[in-house]
Amino acid sequence: MTNETSTETRVDRVIEERKTTDPQTQVESDSATGSVPGVIETKDMSVYYGDFRAVADVSLDFGRNEISALIGPSGCGKSTVLRSLNRMNDLVATARTEGQVHYHGQNIYAEGVDPVEVRRTIGMVFQKPNPFPKSIYDNIAWGAKINGFRGNKSEMEDLVHEALVGAALWDEVKDKLGDSGYSLSGGQQQRLCIARAIAVKPDVILMDEPCSSLDPIATLRIEELMLELKENYSIIIVTHNMQQAARVSDKTAFFNVKLDDSGMRTGRLVEYSPTEQLFTSPREKDTEDYITGRFG
Amino acid sequence: MTGIKDTNVHFHQELEDLERKVLSMVERAEQMVEMAVQSVITSDLDLAERVVTLDDGIDSTYLEVHQDWTSLMARNQPMGSDLRRMTTLIQLNATFERMGDQCVNIAKIAQLNEGLPRVERICEQIREMGDLVRPMIRTAVEAYLRRDLDEARLLPAMDHPVDRLNANMYKETVAVRDNPELLEWATKMLMASRALERVGDQAVDFGEQTAYLITGERAEFDEDGLAQALNEDTDN
Repeated sequence: MTNETSTETRVDRVIEERKTTDPQTQVESDSATGSVPGVIETKDMSVYYGDFRAVADVSLDFGRNEISALIGPSGCGKSTVLRSLNRMNDLVATARTEGQVHYHGQNIYAEGVDPVEVRRTIGMVFQKPNPFPKSIYDNIAWGAKINGFRGNKSEMEDLVHEALVGAALWDEVKDKLGDSGYSLSGGQQQRLCIARAIAVKPDVILMDEPCSSLDPIATLRIEELMLELKENYSIIIVTHNMQQAARVSDKTAFFNVKLDDSGMRTGRLVEYSPTEQLFTSPREKDTEDYITGRFG
Repeated sequence: MTGIKDTNVHFHQELEDLERKVLSMVERAEQMVEMAVQSVITSDLDLAERVVTLDDGIDSTYLEVHQDWTSLMARNQPMGSDLRRMTTLIQLNATFERMGDQCVNIAKIAQLNEGLPRVERICEQIREMGDLVRPMIRTAVEAYLRRDLDEARLLPAMDHPVDRLNANMYKETVAVRDNPELLEWATKMLMASRALERVGDQAVDFGEQTAYLITGERAEFDEDGLAQALNEDTDN
């Protein structure tokens, strides 16, 4: 007869042994990301704040009508990368971007490119909802006007309606368009900001941790909205929430902090894969360590 | 792992406990195969009864694993190799529970065949099948514990003789068709043979689960133990 006690001891022993060796599995997967034609492409992009290189040599291709997620630990440079994609970093005096960022093949950092036009085409939604201190209606209308909207009153009403419907907010605010944007809940304010962003007809929407100040229900509404928006827009989102990245994104880029040759901590792109692959069978050990909570 | 800090210690400890619990089922199933085969070829009804009792333990562990697994998933939403380990464990839980059921099927045949005449040659064949199947379970456990893809791939070849003996049982049964009592006994032994053949298949399935855990790719082993989807990666 099999000795049950001794075999169980064997199981225990091997499990204990495994703990002291590297338990990582050897994953050899197809590295192809299966991208649809890209909308934004970075080539060897590095971003500096003064002498400090925050992120180095990032080459990424973001697909059209896809949601791409940027994840990684604090300080890995993911928000810096996001802000470089529409020249938002230009607003930081010490910031400097090297390499190239192509939008439909055109380098947005090339001489003569208007950064305001770049930001209109590649919009951004921020971590904390930041409605203007104006009515719900004017949050959309004013944003559109300063971005060059020249239609009449009726056309403006159509635009406001369209943007609020697009941001899944219309039904909740249609009877109080004159109320202050601040009267809305946090989740509604964030959707108002999304409505404001899409009212100027961007092509790409960047989202910098758009749900980090929202409760779980408001978060799910924004996620649902993102899935609807990707029919018409390309979305790139920075999130600390890996489950959120797993739920909404088509592709995920994992960034990590590495020491460079001079001992400086610099953000590096570790892996860019289809989301399902990255969260089930990542190619890189660093990714595996991060998503399973082994980090150092 | 130098320099790597596990920030998910509690989850990993619970995952390890769950793994131990699941593997305790297969250890018991391996023991039950031996007892069930012994009971059916020696008509040892006490031994058959012990098999049924051991299976009650497996069934109870099966339910516990389900509960623990659901709780772990709900609380932790694991990813990467943790997620693969979780999905593998829930599948193995079902596989091992079925192995236990097959052993009970064999033990019940021991009870049903009580008092009937027997054919030694058929008994020897059932014993041989048991002797082939138990090392398969052991191999599958070792492959899993050591995350050894090569060892897991040995299983289909180990299963061939079991399949062959099972196929031969039909001939042995037909051979006693002229004796109604022997035919009744042999027909039931054919069911025992079929149950052992299934346990062999379940050991191969265990190996396939291990392959998934290691590679992240779902694939069934072919006859040579080379999973279709894994061929290209490993032959290069």
